Amino acid sequence: MAVKFFGQYLVEKGIVSRDVLLKAIDLQERKNLKLGEMAVAMGCVTQADIERAHNAQLSKDMKLGDLLVEMGILTLNQLNDIITRQKNTHLYIGEALVLVGALTNAQLVQHLDDFKADQAQYVADRIELPDAIPNRRIWETTADLTYKMITRVLGIQFRPEKCRVVSTLDANFMMAAMDLSGDVDARYLISVSEGLQKTVAKAILREESVDNEPVEVLEDTVMEFVNVVCGNVAAKASQMGVIININPPVTIRPPSSGLPVPEGYTALCFPIHVGEGEKLELILLARQ
Amino acid sequence: MGVRSTACTGRNIRMKKVLVVDDSLSVARQLEKIISESGEFVCVGHAKNGAEAIKMNHTENPDIICMDMNMPGMDGLTALRSLVVLDKDVKVVMVTSLGGVGDKFTEALRLGARNVISKPFESIDVLNILREL
Repeated sequence: MAVKFFGQYLVEKGIVSRDVLLKAIDLQERKNLKLGEMAVAMGCVTQADIERAHNAQLSKDMKLGDLLVEMGILTLNQLNDIITRQKNTHLYIGEALVLVGALTNAQLVQHLDDFKADQAQYVADRIELPDAIPNRRIWETTADLTYKMITRVLGIQFRPEKCRVVSTLDANFMMAAMDLSGDVDARYLISVSEGLQKTVAKAILREESVDNEPVEVLEDTVMEFVNVVCGNVAAKASQMGVIININPPVTIRPPSSGLPVPEGYTALCFPIHVGEGEKLELILLARQ
Repeated sequence: MGVRSTACTGRNIRMKKVLVVDDSLSVARQLEKIISESGEFVCVGHAKNGAEAIKMNHTENPDIICMDMNMPGMDGLTALRSLVVLDKDVKVVMVTSLGGVGDKFTEALRLGARNVISKPFESIDVLNILREL
């Protein structure tokens, strides 16, 4: 039901054991050279260059390759050649499982087909974002996964409305938020009306009625929905080579005047039409 | 550490004891419901972070621990490191929305987790994984 990577899928289905998967991952780690290792192996840089760049990384928030170019150790063309070589020689987990004898090639092809079918529900649909938004592929995926989880986890019929940039976050009954860090600097928020909060709670708790539930439990269910979406966004992002770390979710009760967007951030609002009298919005605060 | 219970068939069924570790009240409720309705497992408690999990592993002596990764205070992977050192027989299953992040999944298995359940989960997936332990 969630976004998965191939090795996890195979263990979950009992096709390979945990120990065999770890053996294949160990093999991958031995065979797949990191960027610095590949650059040394190709004779483009020395080990001393790499160490110098690693030291510089302590004070600069840059990827190693970009830093090597900035420091004049590599040209951009050399960096591209190294990345291409890394991609062309990459040993995938399926291939590693064949090499350790856990799967035959024919089994690998069959399981890959089954895995793709299992994950097809999480292939991103087209989401339109305003122009000039950094990391737009990630935010498109985030909105898309949010819509898919609303359908699959909450079971709600809805109509997504067009994304727009806002300067104030509208007041609503409550918001649940999660900070995203790593290769992005952003905050994910879900804003719900009172009725929607109960709908979320019923779905998460798998209960017919939540009328007697305490406020903290109702709020927790919205935070948990945010946690599920953001965890799956992190999984999808990792498949795209982007690292996203998630932090424990928090609850916000916005004042009636709404909330201002923090300086230095762009607020993308995705209104989600769920019926008369109820309000549901996805908001992404992304560092400019 | 006392002797753990074992599941068996017949009249004197001793259900396997499960400790749930999650800062989320709603996830704990979900898991407790799945566990208690199964008739095969019994939930012996709910710890809200890794430090509580370590204490409750000692006091409740569960057969299985279902533990979140992303918790305030001591997180799940830090607690897992300690649990496997303190109790070599401990069986921990991580329950997380980050299960699909390859590095996190691999780290959990390397640290000694028996399996990883991704959120959102279905009851049957949780029970199938618990039954294998």
